Amino acid sequence: MATLNLQHIDKIYDNNVQAVFDFNLDVKDGELIVLVGPSGCGKSTTLRMVAGLEDISNGKLLLDGRDITATPAKDRDMAMVFQSYALYGHMTIYENMAFSLTLRKENPNVIHKKVLAAAEILGLTSQLNKKPAQLSGGQRQRVAMGRSIVRNPKVFLFDEPLSNLDAKLRGATRREILLLHKRLQATMMYVTHDQTEALTLADRIVCMSMGHVQQVGTPLELYDSPANVFVASFIGLPPMNFYDVRVEAGKLAGQGFTVPLTEEERHTLRAYNNKEITLGVRPENIVEGTDVPVTVSSNENLGMNTLVHGRIGGGKGAKISAKLKGWRDYKTGDAATFTFNRKHFFDKETTNAIRGGEG
Amino acid sequence: MTAEDRSIQRDRMRYVKNSLSSTLAIVGILFNVFYFVSIYKSDVDTYYYNILIGASIVYNLVFMLAVFLASEGVKNYKKNYSYVLAVVGVLQIARIFILPMQAHAAETLVNGESVMVMQDGQFYRVVAYLVVSAVCLLASAAVNMIRCRELSEHLKTLGVQSA
Repeated sequence: MATLNLQHIDKIYDNNVQAVFDFNLDVKDGELIVLVGPSGCGKSTTLRMVAGLEDISNGKLLLDGRDITATPAKDRDMAMVFQSYALYGHMTIYENMAFSLTLRKENPNVIHKKVLAAAEILGLTSQLNKKPAQLSGGQRQRVAMGRSIVRNPKVFLFDEPLSNLDAKLRGATRREILLLHKRLQATMMYVTHDQTEALTLADRIVCMSMGHVQQVGTPLELYDSPANVFVASFIGLPPMNFYDVRVEAGKLAGQGFTVPLTEEERHTLRAYNNKEITLGVRPENIVEGTDVPVTVSSNENLGMNTLVHGRIGGGKGAKISAKLKGWRDYKTGDAATFTFNRKHFFDKETTNAIRGGEG
Repeated sequence: MTAEDRSIQRDRMRYVKNSLSSTLAIVGILFNVFYFVSIYKSDVDTYYYNILIGASIVYNLVFMLAVFLASEGVKNYKKNYSYVLAVVGVLQIARIFILPMQAHAAETLVNGESVMVMQDGQFYRVVAYLVVSAVCLLASAAVNMIRCRELSEHLKTLGVQSA
């Protein structure tokens, strides 16, 4: 397969709008990289630049060390799977999968072997004589993947391939993509705005916002050690709670609550004594306890967990969402008291994470 | 070609349409159209009125419809359409001896002179159209017949019921 190096890549459109700023990434051989971010953050543009569907304004793109910045899309040896499947409706599944090889005038017997092998991998053997309209959305997306597999490209590119599928199919197809990656050991770049897809599929995630890379890391790194407030708020569902707090002797004082700091947290925040910071707490890191008084506004039972929403101190206090284990039956207006098990600290000015050892 | 290549070629027929037979049938229609538009024009500026002309027009229309349907049938390896194509292929040859031959043998008066209704040039041209059309149709039928047999045998070895 292949390595891919994106070096200082910018995308500036003709109207001087810059969509991607100084994008740097080294994709290892056989790695599955997921680009994640909200709509308009530049992730699809980046993927399209890698595919050769968009020109690269500045920077270099290397495939296996070879500069392919100016190489046309058809000569890049990459296959792209689109959200809309892009299948030919008048062709059978077999013909759709064989089409790119037929255009290259490959030997029909070789094409046949490749199509059958890809169909076997994707469980499409019994569907080969059908037309795309006779298949479900998930099956169509598998055909689109099969069309990529038969080409045996160096890099697979996926542009939000699951967005057109319903929730159940999305989960099933996601698992299939993961199995496919394990089976093919192929280098893949995958674009999505769905953090669940990113967390479950990726070897490494590139989190983007407004054309800038916010953080590159493993799913656990992004979840557990977000680099800044944006990453912290984007990764995790329900999203992280944020509060403006003041670091005081051994505690954090927020509006309507005070939480104690552990020895380790005190060490982390030693440079911020008597300063304001942003405190981040994931809903799943909140338990019923003694520190934060909350007036409950809604209670959502999810089976194994209960999502409790409320305001700290009631009235116009800061909003809080807590994901409590087990079944709870809080009523609107009930008083509850929570404790924060795990806290994330962010510099209020830069919004960057405050890590231990800094300062 | 190795035995493996032959086996793959047979297996391909499970998924790839019989476009050769289908194309040959369409070419057969095309040459019949050439015949159709050539036969009712006389090189000597006269017409050969005959009861066969009406029948010929109707036959041409039925022929084109039938062969088009058969071309779709053979595309999907339907054996029975080979028989249809074989029959109309033979009829194309037989047609040479009906209207073209009669018109070629008949004479008419032009400016007081007796001339052939269908001159040699036109006769050989329409005969060529019918012959090419017939050859295409018979070839289409033969190719489909052979492929149907091969596919059927291949499906038997795979334990799959033939369509």
